[in-house]
Amino acid sequence: MVDLVYFQLLSAALFVIGMYGVLARRSAVLIVMSIELMLNAVNINLIAAASHLGYRSVGEAFTNFDGQIIAIFVITVAAAELGLALAIILRIYRNRGSVNVDEVDLMKW
Amino acid sequence: MEWAWLIPVFSFAAAPLIVVLGRVLPGSGSFLAILAIAAGFALFWWVFAGFLGAGAGTENCLVSAHTGTLTCHYQMAWFHAGLAGAAGSVALTWGIIVDPLTVAMLGLVTFVALMVQIYSLGYMRGDSRFGWYYAVHALFAAAMLTLVLADNFLLLYVAWELVGICSYLLIGFWHERPAAKEAAKKAFIVTRIGDVGMLIGILLIWREVGSFSMFDAFEAVSSGAMTEGVTTVAALLLFLGAMGKSAQFPFHVWLPDAMEGPTPVSALIHAATMVVAGVFLVARVYPIFSAYDGDALLVVAVIGLITALMASTIALVSVDLKRILAYSTISHLGLMMLSLGAFGYTAAIFHLLAHGFAKALLFLGAGSVMHGTDELDIRKMGGLRKVMPMTAFLFSLGALSLGGIPILSGFWSKDEILLAVNDHLNPAFIILALLTAFLSAMYMARAMFVTFFGNLRQEMEHAHESPASMIGPMALLGVLAAVFGFVGFNWPGSYQGIGSFLFFHEAEGFHFNWWLGILSMILAVGAFVLGYLIYIKDRVSLEGFRARIGGLIPVVENKYYFDEAYQWVVDRVVLVFANFIGLFDRIVINDLAVNGPANSVHRLGIAMRLHVTGHVYSYAMGMVLGTIALSIFWWFRSVS
Amino acid sequence: MSWILFIALAVLTLGGGLGVVATRNVVHAALALLLSLLAVAGIYLILFAEFLAIVQVLIYGGAITIVLLFAIMLTRTAEYPRITDNRQWPLAAVASVATLAVLAGSFWTKAAVDTQPHNPALTDLANSLFTRWAIPFEIASLVLLVALIGAIIIARESEEGT
Repeated sequence: MVDLVYFQLLSAALFVIGMYGVLARRSAVLIVMSIELMLNAVNINLIAAASHLGYRSVGEAFTNFDGQIIAIFVITVAAAELGLALAIILRIYRNRGSVNVDEVDLMKW
Repeated sequence: MEWAWLIPVFSFAAAPLIVVLGRVLPGSGSFLAILAIAAGFALFWWVFAGFLGAGAGTENCLVSAHTGTLTCHYQMAWFHAGLAGAAGSVALTWGIIVDPLTVAMLGLVTFVALMVQIYSLGYMRGDSRFGWYYAVHALFAAAMLTLVLADNFLLLYVAWELVGICSYLLIGFWHERPAAKEAAKKAFIVTRIGDVGMLIGILLIWREVGSFSMFDAFEAVSSGAMTEGVTTVAALLLFLGAMGKSAQFPFHVWLPDAMEGPTPVSALIHAATMVVAGVFLVARVYPIFSAYDGDALLVVAVIGLITALMASTIALVSVDLKRILAYSTISHLGLMMLSLGAFGYTAAIFHLLAHGFAKALLFLGAGSVMHGTDELDIRKMGGLRKVMPMTAFLFSLGALSLGGIPILSGFWSKDEILLAVNDHLNPAFIILALLTAFLSAMYMARAMFVTFFGNLRQEMEHAHESPASMIGPMALLGVLAAVFGFVGFNWPGSYQGIGSFLFFHEAEGFHFNWWLGILSMILAVGAFVLGYLIYIKDRVSLEGFRARIGGLIPVVENKYYFDEAYQWVVDRVVLVFANFIGLFDRIVINDLAVNGPANSVHRLGIAMRLHVTGHVYSYAMGMVLGTIALSIFWWFRSVS
Repeated sequence: MSWILFIALAVLTLGGGLGVVATRNVVHAALALLLSLLAVAGIYLILFAEFLAIVQVLIYGGAITIVLLFAIMLTRTAEYPRITDNRQWPLAAVASVATLAVLAGSFWTKAAVDTQPHNPALTDLANSLFTRWAIPFEIASLVLLVALIGAIIIARESEEGT
């Protein structure tokens, strides 16, 4: 069977890819997609941990679903965040005529 | 007697009242000032009577161990500098001294100020700032009265500076005239140079004694807590202030220029306030000066003698009536200082009073002449007695008194000074003092004869006598100038002369040295006769004399080039130094110390703001890098 | 067997992710994201988290991808090819590699005691969610509601109509 650590490594790799996307892209939509990748990486990590460690103390049936439940919350929040992100992108696009985040630099010196 | 502090309070209250209410009151509120000083004068008599009735047993009064006179001392707490009772804290008090010196000065100041203010009603009539004149006048008198009452150096210094600022305001009263403005500044700055010395002296005494009280200082001096060196230095520093205020050499230059003020102001400054403050100060702190055999007093005597001689020679060649009187004042102040320096305490104060009345009279007379003729150059005058008989008579009375003609008051007081000098100082001093006496009689004769006697000039025929409000005060002063000297005698009965009332340590009876008295009488009368022959009869020609000392005349006429020398010093030394300081201020203080930090913060801000790109991904990068650094840090921590 | 599945799904996941961050065509990026997300659902299946896998497919594969495509459509698509990566991308790459090194290093050195993945019953998951996690669940629903309202307000056609 596949050890927990490989899922973790997969999760790390996916997280880093998403992070690179957040750091390197200019398009707001692509940045949001990269954020989704990062959230998924976290979910993989959580669920893998829950599946492998949930029954460590055998006597107590089902003590540790926490990973999966947190993953559900992460998905929920991701959905909320995406809705807001879409709204913000539309607003920026309407105000600036672009989704390039370089255009949004009012907080500059 | 404990109400003596009210004397200045009346005038202090009058000054702001006149400023505030002057517009709505009749006469611009001038009557307030006069009423205030009249009340002060009345109260003076009450205090005087109370003081004469008091003895060593009276509450708050005792025979001071330091001056030997009955001294009444009233004081109340003002505030504590520092915590009360804690080490190093100083209790500051308001307080007044009533002793013979104070009583005499109170009488002089209130009387002369009252006379001058009544006189000013006529003299200043119609001036656009009539009310302001009286307000400052009241403040001036109040400050001077506070000065003579003060029981501690701090209060004295406050009053001292108030006198200074009031003199500044009054000398520059006609500030539309550039000369008056300059004169006011000159008076203020020159006296201020002396004041700095005085302040240092006061602080030095405070450092040694830990108190501003004069009695504590006297106690420290007599007990030896203040060593000889410190005492002498403190006395000389205080004397520096006295020199500035009393226009002693080399600070005398401001006084002649102060003639730019209204003439009654000159009368007040010269006779009763301001300039006598210096003499008064020396007399007040005489225990400090006379301690340790009076080393400091020798300096006082020398300065006084130099001043007296120098000023009387200048007075002899000056052609401006008021300036003659100004130099005469300087000369007589020099004589007072000389007297103080010669342990002639009583003589100095006696002369201060006699001179005060006579000089106030002379100035008011000069003012009257100016009022009648609009002229001050004595060369253009002559024969004025025909058109201004009262003024001529009173002025002559003052001149004769001050010139030392017998039975007038100036003769007796000057004689006392000569006696003190003769008794206590080197013979050289008495010779020069007699020369000064002769010169002072001479210039008085010149001023008197040239102005009022001889032929009336054509252009002076329109001159008119002054109104009664001006002649009245002059007449009162004239009476005193004539008869005040009699208070010096040992009258039969209980009164033992002024020396039994106003003295330092030992009561002195009136004494008269026959050969000295006759000598000074001959000199004075001779000077007036000589003046009469020179200026009226033209019997004695000055040409031969002028030819012989030819080179010296311009030197004296140019006032020994003091102003030029000061101008040179100011231009070459002070201004250069000031420019250097200014440059230093601009470059080091301003650019480096003040703007420097500001500029560096500004530049730092410019450099720092570059990291604020406004790009979201830049901030995200910052977060990531920080997180990486933190996780590496914690990882290594957990591993090791 | 599971190794083959894992490797295949991992390759799909990472490939999709790389597609998202590498392509310039935003529609291609969205499709690559969809691929990656579906592969993640497969990963969940290997981990016996069937419910999560279904949720992943429904929400990510369905709703989120659709929303992203809407975002692309509602903005000016022609502009996207011109929006290049920003100038800090090399630094971003270095930072990413560093992060990977840190994460991988910590996972590798702190590898948990290995146990087999188990298959919890869905009823147990439901019990846990609605008993122990009831309050966070309600809060999460509130968050969704607020985000929904906020999104509507932000995205609404400007001020007219208020």
